[in-house]
Amino acid sequence: MVKKQRGEASSSLKMEKVSDNFNLMLESSDDEAPEEVTFEDSKAQALKSMKLALDTARRDKALLKEKRKKRQELFQEQKKRKLLPAAVLEEIASKKQKPSEDEAEDEQQEEGGEETKKKSGKLANARNLKGKYTVQTVKHGASEASQRQTAEDFLQSRLYGAGSCRTTSNELLSLENKKGRNKSAAVTFVNKDWACREKAKAEKLKKRWIHKQQIPC
Amino acid sequence: MAEFKVHRVRFFDYMPTAIRAMAFNHRTERLAVARADGALEIFNFADNYFQEKVIPGQDGRAAEALCWLGQRLFSAGLNGEITEYDLENLRPRYTVEAYGGPIWSISSNSQGTLLAVGCEDGTVKIFEILEERIQFQRNLDRQKGRIISLCWHPSGTLIAAGMMDMIKIFDAESGRATHRLLVERGVGASKSREVVVWSIVFLSDHTIISGDSAGKVQVWDGLTGTLVRTHLVTKWDVLALSSSQDESSVVAGTSEGTVVQFQFLSSNVGPQDKEWVRTRTFKNHSHDVRALAHTDTAVVSGGMDTQLVVRPLLDKVEKNTQESAMRKIAFPHRSLVCCAKKAGLLLFQFPDHLELWRLGESNGHGSPGDSLPVKRKPEKLIQLKRKGEDHISCSAVSPCGGWLAYSTVSSFRLYRLQNNTISVTKVSRLPKDLRSAQQLCFSSDSTKLFASSCRSSVLVVDLNQSDCKYLHTLRPKSGSSQPVHLLCVSEDGKWLATANTDCLIHVFNLDKLKLHCTVPVYSSCPTAIAIHPTNSNLVVVHADQQIFEYSLVQKEYTEWSRKLQKRGLHPLWMERDTPITHIAFNPKNPAHIILHDTFMFCIIDQNLPLPEAKTPLYNQMTLRSLPESERIMHSHAFKICKHFQHLLCVRLLEDHSLVVVERPLLDIQSQLPAPVRQKKFAT
Repeated sequence: MVKKQRGEASSSLKMEKVSDNFNLMLESSDDEAPEEVTFEDSKAQALKSMKLALDTARRDKALLKEKRKKRQELFQEQKKRKLLPAAVLEEIASKKQKPSEDEAEDEQQEEGGEETKKKSGKLANARNLKGKYTVQTVKHGASEASQRQTAEDFLQSRLYGAGSCRTTSNELLSLENKKGRNKSAAVTFVNKDWACREKAKAEKLKKRWIHKQQIPC
Repeated sequence: MAEFKVHRVRFFDYMPTAIRAMAFNHRTERLAVARADGALEIFNFADNYFQEKVIPGQDGRAAEALCWLGQRLFSAGLNGEITEYDLENLRPRYTVEAYGGPIWSISSNSQGTLLAVGCEDGTVKIFEILEERIQFQRNLDRQKGRIISLCWHPSGTLIAAGMMDMIKIFDAESGRATHRLLVERGVGASKSREVVVWSIVFLSDHTIISGDSAGKVQVWDGLTGTLVRTHLVTKWDVLALSSSQDESSVVAGTSEGTVVQFQFLSSNVGPQDKEWVRTRTFKNHSHDVRALAHTDTAVVSGGMDTQLVVRPLLDKVEKNTQESAMRKIAFPHRSLVCCAKKAGLLLFQFPDHLELWRLGESNGHGSPGDSLPVKRKPEKLIQLKRKGEDHISCSAVSPCGGWLAYSTVSSFRLYRLQNNTISVTKVSRLPKDLRSAQQLCFSSDSTKLFASSCRSSVLVVDLNQSDCKYLHTLRPKSGSSQPVHLLCVSEDGKWLATANTDCLIHVFNLDKLKLHCTVPVYSSCPTAIAIHPTNSNLVVVHADQQIFEYSLVQKEYTEWSRKLQKRGLHPLWMERDTPITHIAFNPKNPAHIILHDTFMFCIIDQNLPLPEAKTPLYNQMTLRSLPESERIMHSHAFKICKHFQHLLCVRLLEDHSLVVVERPLLDIQSQLPAPVRQKKFAT
């Protein structure tokens, strides 16, 4: 191991001076006291490791930069592909400003084979472009309602969702009955109207079970 | 005394809605309460906590936050709109879209010039307040998370916003976020969930107090952006915070139903080391406390258990007085039940539909206190769903059961019920002035309909076979703009009395169709009025429990009324905390006046002597045990029965049977949403 180090260190003058010392040290046996590493040695070691670290950091940065560049280019390309051709966009913009002029223009441009546009009966927020595409503004309420629903869901999940440690009002009132001054049974038994549907279901189930028990006999 | 057959009705499924937000106006002493269905209620704290006004809600408009600005009331909700309310016509004045997604909070600066709203998309939008409307001014810097709570600094230069996991302080002029205060997440399982800063308070010494979903109330220094102190108050969320006007006390409401008070006190002698110390804990609710208000003398809390609780602070009021009693307001201060006396029908008003029931019948006789066997069960005749998005604000059924009317803020509908209410036909051509009414009343012979409209005026509409015709508008001379909340007509059809929230009572002569007189104004708002069928005396009960009787013919207070005022009402009567909502008379005995509030109904016998202050007021049970001869010595005019609770309506039918509509609190509590689970020892 140390030989390898000597090999690397031979590049610098300082190291060569120290290498003799190393040689002398190596020839001693295991019983001897541990090797003394001089201050210059360790300084040189530290400098070397720092240089190495800096080098690797620079290399990593360069790699990341390249990666980012490549990704950015990829996104640009995808975006270009996603957008409508520039010609159509320009047309939409100009259409919105001067509808009548464009209509006339389009009419002139259109040739016999293409569809004829309907001038009357056009929606105020819809535009027909070159026959095949219609641009229409989204109805206002839909996004609002969905946003409101998301907000309400957030509130509901924070207060009543997972991890909120909730119980039922049946339990709350039954506990009050049990801890009150005049202790009584749970609310389901005290209040006859409580959970009528559940009680009716339980009754039906009981009857069915009894009926089942009687059949084999 | 008198024996009555009582129809004990428990099939009115009245279900109040949860309180979502509240705001207290210190100058006018009014509390505005927003409910989960969009309804808004205004309580007058100076007048025995009377529920003065109710603005019905609308589908999809549920207020998430409220804000007073002088006399103007603004609300903002998850539908992304800011609404200003017209408190004189009891309707929304206009709505403004904020275009920021759902709005979570709204707050005005102390100068009253700007309004800030916190939106879902992370922007704080500033609106300028103009004379008749608000106008968008600008956005502050957009943040990455939603803005849940907002508070202006009293100087109006800084805004503190509570978001997810952090609090940001904005400079209101430049719009930049200057400080970011990071809020610690909860321990254990909740470490993976973001902590939501539900509410925030910004004090004038730049202290910020925040309440979050990890159950902590934290005190921050707004100048340096550092945490000063953390108080772990509960295992669940701290949902609401409110500070007093002098900034010495802050209250926090939690999901457990507790309200914790923090006060700015010094632990040793010397004003230097004052700090926020947790002092009192109130547990007045069984469910989450979502809204709080801190008045000068009391803490007002409301939440998912639908009750409004006013808890006076004992260091601000004298102990053991009427002022220091805790008030729980659970039922509305107006009648939601209308009774058709001659036909034996009951009309129940719900926010989205009306139900018409026919009362059952019983032939049996028994001694007082017995349950009689029911020969014919009560049946639901009609369930009428309202049209449109606005909730029903008032409804009425004619005494003969032939006409049904209801009104919302935007429309009015009249229906003709025929063949014993089997056929319901809508009257299509209504007079164009009859667009929406705040109160409705039919005359006792079912030929006229009275509807109150703006500026305390009353529309008189004539009803014949199957349609209606506009007759006249009765206008009071004073031109008061406040809405009419009470409307009553006399049995003989000669007099019509209206009362508005300005405490003005006007009486109109229906034969001449003009104003007859205005009752002398009393400082408290009237809660119930009625005109005696035979001697035409107007009986008025006010929010502070005072009773007056005014003779319409002579235009002065009656002898009995003067005697009552001189003697004064019994202290136990004055201490009752729910207002009288209806007055009725007994045709068999003209000296009887039947009143009721939520916990009792009372028959006042004007022929008997008035009770002394020292004698017991509730002496009906003791009187029954006394022998006949001694009874006369001890009996007094106020005969109170507390047998039926909680009363929503007490009416006397034509066949002299009493109808009592009860709504037991247990039935309401059983339908409330889930409360938190608290592990208690030995359960």
